[in-house]
Amino acid sequence: MQEGWIAVNNIALMAFGALAIIGALLTIVERDPFRKLISLGILVGGSVPFIVDRGLLDVAIAVALIAPLSTIFILMVCGRGDQ
Amino acid sequence: MNPEFILGLVLLLGGTIAAAFPVPKTYLNRLINLEISAWGLLLLMLSYNEALALLTFGGVSALSVYIFVRVIQKKEAPA
Amino acid sequence: MTPQEAALAVCAVIAVYAAIRVALEPDTLRKLPFLNVLSFAVAGSIALLIPHPLSIVAAAAYFVGSTLESNAIASTYAGGLDRRE
Repeated sequence: MQEGWIAVNNIALMAFGALAIIGALLTIVERDPFRKLISLGILVGGSVPFIVDRGLLDVAIAVALIAPLSTIFILMVCGRGDQ
Repeated sequence: MNPEFILGLVLLLGGTIAAAFPVPKTYLNRLINLEISAWGLLLLMLSYNEALALLTFGGVSALSVYIFVRVIQKKEAPA
Repeated sequence: MTPQEAALAVCAVIAVYAAIRVALEPDTLRKLPFLNVLSFAVAGSIALLIPHPLSIVAAAAYFVGSTLESNAIASTYAGGLDRRE
């Protein structure tokens, strides 16, 4: 049972690694700033479970609260685009 | 060679190249591509189990993004 | 396979499916509901990944943060807050 738990954890972490790769490629490829920010959200969602899997829960809480803050800071600059 | 290490290296190199040569050459695209590189460095620090470095880097990264946003606003406002 | 493992597998599959749907969506405003689905799946799998009492707090923090981010992107794309003045 313990072995099965580790195996399912590894498969889920591979899925989140694929999620981070998809988000990074999509962020580089897109041209509109809003679409780039949405893809950056995929990248964040892919890389936060790696912090949780290491057991650093306090770091995960801090990073999960700080990451949207930086996205909102970037949104202050690209809000003037298509009025 | 953890999976975090390899993923962090890939994100760091890809984000740095994308921030150096952005496709529409604007400051905003450079700033967004710099975020990819920041997340790659965060995963790289995670693979060495540095909890205090992760906390400090997260806070300073948001602060530096705010400073860059103020600089870009100040530069693009008169133009 | 215990029920927690099954729930974790379902959450990971939903997250990958939502990411593929976001990647293949041509309309920008239609990407945002799938980004919300991705955030819910990631929050659920954070809570299920390790058995620790603090992991539910991390899942709640990620839930709040990602919902705030997605709604801020949608609000700014739809016109922004400073349109009335």
